[in-house]
Amino acid sequence: MESPTPADRGELEELYRLLAAVRQLDTAAVRWQRQGIIPGYAPLLGQEAAQVGSGYAVDPTRDFIFPTYRELGVARAVGVDMVEYMATHKATWHGGLYNPATTHFAPIQAVVGGSVLHAVGWAHGQRLAGPGEDGYNVALSYFGDGASSQGDVHEAMNFAAVMKAPVIFFVQNNGWAISVPTERQVAGGSVAARAAGYGMPSLSVDGNDVTAVLEATRQALAHCRGGGGPILIEARTYRLGPHSTSDDPGRYRSLDEEQAARRSDPLAACEALLRTRFGTPDSFFAGALAAGEAEAEAVRQGLEGLAPRPGSEMFDFVFQQPTPALKAQAAAWRTESEHV
Amino acid sequence: MSETLSSPLSPAAGDGPAASAPLTLSMQGALNRALGEVLEDNPKALIFGEDVGRLGGVFRITDGLQARFGAERVFDTPLAESGILGMSVGLAMAGFHPIPEVQFDGFAYPAVNQIVSQIGRMNYRSRGALPMPVTLRVPSFGGIRAPELHGESLESLFVHVPGLKVVSPADPHQAYHLLRLAGSMPDPVIFMEPKARYWQKGPVDPADAGALEGARIARPGRHLTLIAWGAMVARCLQVAELAAEDGIEVEVLDLRWLSPIDADGLAESASRTRRAVVVHEAPRSSGLGAEIAALVTERCFNTLKAPVERVTGFDVPYPSGDLEDEYIPNIDRILFGIQRVLEHRRG
Amino acid sequence: MAELSFPLPDLGEGLIEATILEWLVAEGDQVERNQPLVEVETTKSAVELPSPQAGTVVKVHGEAGSVIAVGDPLIVFEVPDDTAGIVGTVPAEKAPARRVRLSAVLDDD
Repeated sequence: MESPTPADRGELEELYRLLAAVRQLDTAAVRWQRQGIIPGYAPLLGQEAAQVGSGYAVDPTRDFIFPTYRELGVARAVGVDMVEYMATHKATWHGGLYNPATTHFAPIQAVVGGSVLHAVGWAHGQRLAGPGEDGYNVALSYFGDGASSQGDVHEAMNFAAVMKAPVIFFVQNNGWAISVPTERQVAGGSVAARAAGYGMPSLSVDGNDVTAVLEATRQALAHCRGGGGPILIEARTYRLGPHSTSDDPGRYRSLDEEQAARRSDPLAACEALLRTRFGTPDSFFAGALAAGEAEAEAVRQGLEGLAPRPGSEMFDFVFQQPTPALKAQAAAWRTESEHV
Repeated sequence: MSETLSSPLSPAAGDGPAASAPLTLSMQGALNRALGEVLEDNPKALIFGEDVGRLGGVFRITDGLQARFGAERVFDTPLAESGILGMSVGLAMAGFHPIPEVQFDGFAYPAVNQIVSQIGRMNYRSRGALPMPVTLRVPSFGGIRAPELHGESLESLFVHVPGLKVVSPADPHQAYHLLRLAGSMPDPVIFMEPKARYWQKGPVDPADAGALEGARIARPGRHLTLIAWGAMVARCLQVAELAAEDGIEVEVLDLRWLSPIDADGLAESASRTRRAVVVHEAPRSSGLGAEIAALVTERCFNTLKAPVERVTGFDVPYPSGDLEDEYIPNIDRILFGIQRVLEHRRG
Repeated sequence: MAELSFPLPDLGEGLIEATILEWLVAEGDQVERNQPLVEVETTKSAVELPSPQAGTVVKVHGEAGSVIAVGDPLIVFEVPDDTAGIVGTVPAEKAPARRVRLSAVLDDD
């Protein structure tokens, strides 16, 4: 595999702006839950570089992303509307309100490991359709160390390898599946090591180094576009926050451990790189964080203005061709329940 | 304690530690206490699943049990529901009584293969040589504005599988005693916990189980029987209170056991009141309400004043929190259902 | 709601007390786990203590200049004692509301 060019100054500054926006949105979302604006949220604090670095490498006009419920950073990096994304956490609509067909960002997946086979199927579809001038379109399947235990994930890797499907299995190993640490989850300790068993290459990267993640993802994209079949990236990172806004990590891990993990902050690492390599001034970082804060505030306003969907939508989207029985239920619901 | 319908409980589940006065517990606390006693009573009982050990479960139902009984009897598994249920089969074959937890109802779908193809028929396949004393706890139903697949009503799926017993408690007292009973049974039991009722406190009398088989009358009445289970029992009790303001005396029948279903108890109540409405959160079509309507009709056709009415969820995927109240049968929809039955005139 | 009290932790190296330099949170604040709570000074250094708990601050002990012994109460949090579990919310217990009234002729009952 040829090594892609490392990020230049413009790219690295853009990556930092994305990291800052994601950090601000993510920490704001925790506040919104505390303020009662949203009923729950799954923070990604600590995983910004893994998400931004990989999402930035993708071409959402041709590739397709299959997220979990913790991929706000990827969504932001590929331009998904953040109010429409957060709608799932506001309990407005399961899966979010953005259009997955046009954004190439599949509906937010609530089941751990639930969409990994979907990515393989989509990728196999690209194989059947044949490569374009620049090779195959590529599926990116996001999942975590916890999901790697699911049988579906193993089926997905085997299918992909047998069919040489252009899919990147992007594993964010964040150390914790709710309360269970990786060493009690992943036998052997490495998800990347499993790729060998399926005859596919793997890359293991520091998930807190946004440039390393970007380069690995570009390398993997080149591998898939060229017809090399599937590849797995394991980005080692750390879930600094709770599993969800109702989780209490004090029950299963120490503050010391969290403090130690905090020392490899992805934003600080990117900032240090910009300063040493390009002499980027203080004002740039302050500006990026301020822009992120302003963006989060705009998203908050959007969320507060987001009215519940009409109840009739419960019935509208069950089928492309609604059944008479369902129409009758919708009519009965309207009579008995609709608040007019 | 409510009036009960069926035969008294087998002695196994009734005799707890010499408890004196009734306690006031949440359903979470009642279930936690029951599990501790099941582990105490049966050294072969094991609790396992996702986050049930150190964390004590995402709803704290297993809180403190790992510290009390050790990490061999209460343990966290890797994150794989099919694995959890498949391993239960082997543990049962090895002489243990597995009490696995599926963290949320919707996570039972990945385990359906092991539940249906294996747990439900191993006793049959082995001609009784390999019993499956597996007590599968499933936090169930909606009402808490949870993410997708964290609030599902799976009872019709489970009751349709031969070889499984299915039960759902409505209050802390029922939860405590039904779980103690289920944890001592030699057959697989799917224990559906109404997660919307986990935190409401109520009296629990450890010393007096009352009858635990079949349905129970949660509130007596003479004009109409309202049949429900799980979280819908509390709502039906509210409806009965409102109906009383209008002079209608509604009997609320807490079905409890969804399989085997208490056909005698259903018929006894419906033949007295001559009118029946069944309420469930699950989608309407082929829901458990259809089976109940058939049973009541078979046994009470000549005495019924109206067809059995169903007030249910719709034939749609369980919606997001904002629309939850539109989906779950609400008080008005149940009252409409009652009114239709009251108005019915045989032609 | 339940109250959780946290004592001044042992800051290591055999120190038995610390002086409060500045509280970084106030009573009534909602704080997150790991958020800096207070800056304290020992005979060796000044350190920020991170919050061991998410919750609402109901009481802080001591003010700038106060000396607190290791093991003495430092801060008290209020946390929900009926947490909803890992997702979702605890349903509110509300009085039943109705629009529909029942009417029936029950003369033949």
